[in-house]
Amino acid sequence: MMKKVLALLLAAVMVLGLTACSSGEEAEESTAAAQTTAAQEETEAAAETAAGETAEGGETAAAQEGERTTFTVGFDAEFPPYGFMDEDGEYVGFDLDLAAEVCARQGWELVKQPINWDTKDMELSSGAIDCIWNGFTMNGREEEYTWTVPYVDNSQVFVVAEGSGMETKADLAGKVVGVQADSSALAALEDEENQENLDLAASFASLNQFADYNTAFMELEAGSIEALAMDIGVANYQISQRGGGYEILGGNDPEQYLATEQYAVGFLLGNDALKDTVEATLMEMVEDGTFMEIAEKYADYGLVEAVCLGK
Amino acid sequence: MSMATMLQLLGSGMGKTAAIFFLTLLFSLPLGLFFSFGRMAKNGLIRGVSKFYISVMRGTPLMLQLIVVYFAPYYVFGIRIAPWYRFVAVILSFVLNYAAYFAEIYRSGIESIPRGQYEAAQVLGYSRVQTFVKIILPQVIKRILPPVTNEMITLVKDTSLAFVLTEVEMFTAAKQIAAKETSIMPLMIAGLFYYIFNLAVAVIMEQVEKRLNYYR
Repeated sequence: MMKKVLALLLAAVMVLGLTACSSGEEAEESTAAAQTTAAQEETEAAAETAAGETAEGGETAAAQEGERTTFTVGFDAEFPPYGFMDEDGEYVGFDLDLAAEVCARQGWELVKQPINWDTKDMELSSGAIDCIWNGFTMNGREEEYTWTVPYVDNSQVFVVAEGSGMETKADLAGKVVGVQADSSALAALEDEENQENLDLAASFASLNQFADYNTAFMELEAGSIEALAMDIGVANYQISQRGGGYEILGGNDPEQYLATEQYAVGFLLGNDALKDTVEATLMEMVEDGTFMEIAEKYADYGLVEAVCLGK
Repeated sequence: MSMATMLQLLGSGMGKTAAIFFLTLLFSLPLGLFFSFGRMAKNGLIRGVSKFYISVMRGTPLMLQLIVVYFAPYYVFGIRIAPWYRFVAVILSFVLNYAAYFAEIYRSGIESIPRGQYEAAQVLGYSRVQTFVKIILPQVIKRILPPVTNEMITLVKDTSLAFVLTEVEMFTAAKQIAAKETSIMPLMIAGLFYYIFNLAVAVIMEQVEKRLNYYR
């Protein structure tokens, strides 16, 4: 084994050693003046490419519509019950099941691409994914994506430890509150037009941003965070999976919720062709009852009550 | 989720982790030598460029480099990102980053060889390439093994950074299983796997060091 590694290293070294020598000698001959011009040209070229690329995104997306065979859905694989790993390690969830049904009807191959929630916009605009379909809140982002009709009514709630004594939003004053980075709960707390939420956020001892819900619940359990702001569906999943110990602030009283909003499927701004196809298929599924059937699979997490289509 | 499924999923994540580890070493070890030559070049421009490269690669977070390498084709050149590029970007970022560290390790090794050896080789009629390959490099490899082992162990743990591009290596898999199970246990098991991997690296490198200790 050792001899092979050595041989490999030596071979690599010889090749590189030779190239390094020759390039060194050639470069020595070039003058300082030539170097400056080359550097300037490079900068200009880079500036041109940067300017050109902005306009292209939408067009290329539309051009691809003709021969679509795959449909890549970007989702956060740590966001049950909308997208998560099941008993067998397969990615499932309400949204992914809907996407699978849409693909089956369109004859597309579904590609389930887990994404990092923080870089979702970059994934979408660079074409790595076709849409974000994962409990994606449209409120406040109406102008940033091309949306289908909303299919779930969602609320943002606070989760606190059972017996914490906190019952209303006012009780959160002076507490450490956690929220997922770049989430709609965070957006609701930072909404410039909603003075009530701004005041609420200002009353916290601090607002900590975390990357995923599992870590956040571990912090809540450990006591380093005293309340977590999140979507009600996710809250129900977490509380039922963890076998209690937590509760939603204010229980069923919407007055104590942070915000109410709607989920829809988000496409790259201007990608109406793909949006229309997916939306039409989704509405077909609502018509023939498939949509509710899929929702019933996730009834334990309150999805039957939450969906706003097919009722 | 059963324990067997969990271990199987973590195992396949471990496969991806090992792939990142070996591919990174395969490309960054030679590339590092290349940059160390650049860093020691007589030509000021080549030296400056290599120095700047090493300084940027060592001076910015690997996590940021991963994001930049993955998204650069689109944001800089306007090329839409194909699905296969995710893994390539991971490897590319790790190779570029680790080559910078390896370059400095090679340099420390090469510069530790006394000038007299080059002169002696020249007197004996060795060419520059022969001198380097037959006389200098074998000694350099022996001297740099401990710091290289250090980097290799860091690399095993750094592979977990691939989660920012959601390349499903062991850490990403562990996080996803943890989210599903709402339990910290998968992360602990992943930690154990990383430890075993590193233990193997340390043991193998110790053997390599012993084998190369032929003059003592």
